[in-house]
Amino acid sequence: MNQSVPLSLDLKHMIIDTLELEDVTPEDIDDHAPLFGEGLGLDSIDALELGLALQKRYGVTLDAEAEDTRRHFASLAALQALVEERRVN
Amino acid sequence: MTRPIIGAPTTRDGYLCMADRPWRQAWPDARHLPTRWCHSRDLGRRIDAWLAWLAPRPHGRWLLLDPDPITFTAALLALWESGQSALLPGDDRPATLARLMPLVVGRLPAEPSPEDTQDLSARDSLATTQRETDRNSAGATVVAADSEAAEKEAVVLCTSGSTGQPSLEPKCFRQLDEELERHAALWPLAQTAVVCQVSHQHIYGLLAGILAPLCHGAPFCGDDSRFPEVMAQRVSEATSVGLDACLVASPAQLSRLPQHLALHHQRIARVLCSGAPLSRDDAIRCERLLDSPVIEIYGSTETGGIAHRRQSSGDLWTPFPGVELDLNDSALKLRSPFLARPEQWWDQADRVERQGEGFRLLGRRDRLAKIGGKRVSLTALEQRLCQHEVVQDARCVDLDLRDGRLGVVLAVAGDALPQQHEARKRLISTLREHLASEHEPSAIPRYWRFVESLPLNPQGKHDHATLRRFFDDLDDDRLPRWLGAVDVDDEQRITLEVPERLRYLEGHFEGFALVPGVVLVQWAIHHARERYPALCAFRGVDRLKFQKVLRPGQRLTLTLKRRTDGIAFSFDSPKGRHAGGRVRLEARHD
Repeated sequence: MNQSVPLSLDLKHMIIDTLELEDVTPEDIDDHAPLFGEGLGLDSIDALELGLALQKRYGVTLDAEAEDTRRHFASLAALQALVEERRVN
Repeated sequence: MTRPIIGAPTTRDGYLCMADRPWRQAWPDARHLPTRWCHSRDLGRRIDAWLAWLAPRPHGRWLLLDPDPITFTAALLALWESGQSALLPGDDRPATLARLMPLVVGRLPAEPSPEDTQDLSARDSLATTQRETDRNSAGATVVAADSEAAEKEAVVLCTSGSTGQPSLEPKCFRQLDEELERHAALWPLAQTAVVCQVSHQHIYGLLAGILAPLCHGAPFCGDDSRFPEVMAQRVSEATSVGLDACLVASPAQLSRLPQHLALHHQRIARVLCSGAPLSRDDAIRCERLLDSPVIEIYGSTETGGIAHRRQSSGDLWTPFPGVELDLNDSALKLRSPFLARPEQWWDQADRVERQGEGFRLLGRRDRLAKIGGKRVSLTALEQRLCQHEVVQDARCVDLDLRDGRLGVVLAVAGDALPQQHEARKRLISTLREHLASEHEPSAIPRYWRFVESLPLNPQGKHDHATLRRFFDDLDDDRLPRWLGAVDVDDEQRITLEVPERLRYLEGHFEGFALVPGVVLVQWAIHHARERYPALCAFRGVDRLKFQKVLRPGQRLTLTLKRRTDGIAFSFDSPKGRHAGGRVRLEARHD
């Protein structure tokens, strides 16, 4: 991973690449807009894909509390906070 | 004629059928699990609360939609004990509920609030209340004890029909009991707790995730268990009280099972998987990660389970005991005790190939795709898209990509064709919203292609290969999006779009993505070789001009003209000419 790329941009690229969001550019992802449902329009299958990608790219593992997972996946800013707190690589 | 395949008979063990009301039995050896788990012993009080709530209300079929397995089960069993049935919608979109409400006497609330009951009782005449109470107490003595009761409607399930219309599938107690009995014989649940990752609003989740454990007095959980980390937690809770876990999952989850869950220390008796075929690699990988057999069930809402397999032992499907298959044709026909009419042959819209005592699945015969294990009617999506004023025609394409997502090719009026990223994004978002009112998020196409008219093959059909061509850039991130080509006089005009994820966009100017000129020359050569296959070896470039930058999302036309020593090319868009020049290519003389 390129250390000079800010984490928020790196996460946006991760989301776009993992989920093959071909009509979305990093600038289209608002840091505070919801990722699921309204906003980016992601669904439950995407959540599973993102969980895998977070583990692979940053070594972040999610909790066994679904409520926490929903909170971490609420927006890009929330996802960024999660990665900053738990990243191991 | 080859004889039909008939599954072997079964016996059952440690299992009570639904007429015995296993949820009212005192099962020995109940373990104490955290509150998220549902056990028969906790249900009686909740069922009684629902019975009291239902008593003064209209009698019949109720709409039941509740993601929590405990409250769902209590409400369902109260309906059954009072001689009523449940319609189970697959989702809660307003359009779905509006369509279903006329078919039910009402929708069950989240909780059987006692205040509601009192209000209603006070308003109603005593006579009506008394009549309802009499009927309910009579119904409470049986669920399906005699053959007449066994044919009564227990639930109505919702699925997608191939014509694009949603279809409703009533199931009587006999159908459910027959299938539960076969499950019990094949996969007994003694000393087992069930962790369900799929929705009980559908047949497989209802049978395997709720009713099978109920009939064995086994604890079960669902809802949040669809998250892999929560599932792992529930499995370890079961193990810690000395129970084996049975995981009820789908390919959506098993194909995305994280490596790090460390579940091999847990005791997972088996993993059931249904909804769509699991790839062999995923099946083998999950067996290793979960240290447990992964058993796939093939079936449908209409037929219930048809066959099962374990891919580590082979890829052929074995029919369920009692299910009779006719595989003489490539189209599957079956007779099954799980069908509404067990004596009649049922046409299943799957193509199959007989192999010894089993069979192989070759795909569907109709226009239904499976996404995340759920049936999606391509026809229904297309019909809905065509209702939008911008859309003239639409064709959905099952792209066979790893993510299982759909593509769609849309014909729109010339002035509505998006020319740039922003316009394209806006149009897609409008159409996504238009679909979202009637379709679940996972059914909404992920890959959108806008054209002036849908292409036909030489037979006048929208065939798969012709449509698949529009999505070639997904397989190769060096290519532009191809949106059609026409020959005009001695030129070929090819409509292209710059993919936002083109490999070459970054790294030229900080924060300003553009297509490098050399890539345009490469694209011209690529398409020239496709149009004029005799052109081969590259000999040089002349009169090259790059006039305007080309940015991601831009729609443009590549014009190719054959010259004696190669081609002339130009890239134009409403913004003007982006680039042009000549490429010398040697022609092969065959």
